[in-house]
Amino acid sequence: MSSAGTIRRVRSVHRPLTPRMLLFRIVAAVVLLVLIMFLCSLVGPQDISLKAAMSRPANPAIANPSHQILVSVRIPRVLLAAMVGAALAASGVTFQALLRNPLADPYILGISSGAGLGAMLAIISGFSWTLWGRSPIAVFAFGGALGTVWLVWAIGRLTGKYHTTGLLLAGVVVNAFFSALILFLVSIAKSQELQATMFWLMGNMIEEDFLVLWVGGGCITAGIVALFFLSPQLNIISIGRQDARSIGVSVERTELAAFAVSAFITAIAVSMSGLIGFVGLIIPHAVRLVLGPDHRQLLPVSSLIGAVFLVVADTVARVIVAPAQLPVGVVTAMIGGPFFLILLIRYSRKVYWPT
Amino acid sequence: MTNAIQVEHIAFGYWPQSLVLEDISFTARAGTFLAVVGPNGVGKSTLIAILGGLLKPRSGTVLLDGRNLRSYSTRAIARKITVVRQEFIPAFGFSVMETVLMARTPHYGQLGFESQADRDLAAQALSLTDTTQFASRPLANLSAGERQRVFIARALAQDTPILLLDEPTSCLDFRHQVGIYDLLKSIQLEKHRTIVAVTHDINLAAQYCDEALLLYPPCGPSDAEGTASTGQLRCRIGDTSAILTPQEIERAFGTRVFSGVVGRERFLLPLGTRAKDAGLSGRTSG
Repeated sequence: MSSAGTIRRVRSVHRPLTPRMLLFRIVAAVVLLVLIMFLCSLVGPQDISLKAAMSRPANPAIANPSHQILVSVRIPRVLLAAMVGAALAASGVTFQALLRNPLADPYILGISSGAGLGAMLAIISGFSWTLWGRSPIAVFAFGGALGTVWLVWAIGRLTGKYHTTGLLLAGVVVNAFFSALILFLVSIAKSQELQATMFWLMGNMIEEDFLVLWVGGGCITAGIVALFFLSPQLNIISIGRQDARSIGVSVERTELAAFAVSAFITAIAVSMSGLIGFVGLIIPHAVRLVLGPDHRQLLPVSSLIGAVFLVVADTVARVIVAPAQLPVGVVTAMIGGPFFLILLIRYSRKVYWPT
Repeated sequence: MTNAIQVEHIAFGYWPQSLVLEDISFTARAGTFLAVVGPNGVGKSTLIAILGGLLKPRSGTVLLDGRNLRSYSTRAIARKITVVRQEFIPAFGFSVMETVLMARTPHYGQLGFESQADRDLAAQALSLTDTTQFASRPLANLSAGERQRVFIARALAQDTPILLLDEPTSCLDFRHQVGIYDLLKSIQLEKHRTIVAVTHDINLAAQYCDEALLLYPPCGPSDAEGTASTGQLRCRIGDTSAILTPQEIERAFGTRVFSGVVGRERFLLPLGTRAKDAGLSGRTSG
């Protein structure tokens, strides 16, 4: 039999999705996430036991150190990692569907360089004000991210409404231009500013203000829920805009909503944690390889698995060279890369890859 | 008999200076099988896209059940009209079954899932188009002809009163060509569907369709009725036996055709100057 014949006899591994399957998988992923978050909050440069953290100190005047580490350091950090991971994975799923491009990730339309440029400007200008308890770095990064996506979107619209290539190229070029600006600023920055910039660019998970966590987490959760409601339309848009319209999807409206929501949650994630690569590209592919391409499942499950992945990666980042800490972006690529390659080899013979 | 689709003086161009379609008017009556025939680049696919609400005509109106097509929502059109096009964009390994089930979307709720009835309908559509054996394969791993049958299955699953098909049998072998036309004819007659099919297979159109719409290229012949601003005839509609004649086809396509009679219907065979039978002229019966 010819090689073409062998390829054609391949069956896909996934069955069409049913609500029961979806519910079961979401519940399983939620259970996994809660378990991982619980375990990871006990692990760190100083391991703490739940019993020690929950025990009442003998002297009420002296705070229990285990309890204090758990509540004011570990839990915020684990929560932040989970929400950033979920936002990046959900946004990666959405961008891949909208651009019909497996190489798309949350940063493809310039969010990373826009946020980086914003953060860089804030650091160099040496602002010391705060906005709703946020440092100017986060505020500028957020503004830079959204502003850049808007710019790329506007340029993409000028190249034509009916194809995504113009949008992608606009994203690549704006990314390159802003990256050059960042390099220019780096070359004239003082060494202290440079260090702060590099620290931010490589991604970090430090957030101790619970209010910020709740607001950010609430926005990200709302965004993911909104994307979930768009997921049947994302399925159909991924087979082509014209076919999607003839199946009754309001393509322009859906695309605008999905782009806006995923850009928004990515900008929140980036402004809270810096640039963390890999999650938004790899998690959607990993989930798609194992469970199939249906976005009604891909979106929620990728979000949850993205959260699990980043919580684990951040835990590794803070213990592997303790008491020093690695940037979490280094760990996502170093754990995620080999893990993804195993999945790729294991499953890719059973699925079709768009070329 | 009611009019399913009524086209009044539509014009369309992709660029400001040029028109692909100009002053096209015709009516597709409910329950008829209409063939759209014409040379390459004359605007057949564009016409299908306009009828399906995918493109907005520059001027003129399209009436769907007597109401302007533009007044329907995208979803409302999708419940009335199915469009089967030639284009295929491979997308993330959706299986054949998943692709066909997507056509049920206009019929269930916003965050809905397919019901068992939807699944049954999709399975039935696969079986009618002889594609059941591919159900769990990724769509992109099928041959062009197999995929074309899947697209027709998807159209059947969308289950609308009107079907617009753009060259539904262009990649199919003989058995599947007549299989698809038999299938279309049977849903036309049994379910009272209105079918508009663009085709280059004039002989199958003559055998299966009730009426034909012939589109002429811009430099075509001029005529009194149905003429454009330039004074040229741009389209003509009528019974297949009146439209798919050697004279009309030769005028529209600018090539010589040889014709004969099978039984009730004519067949037409294009003959170029280097064909073995190029020397023959006229018609034969057989």
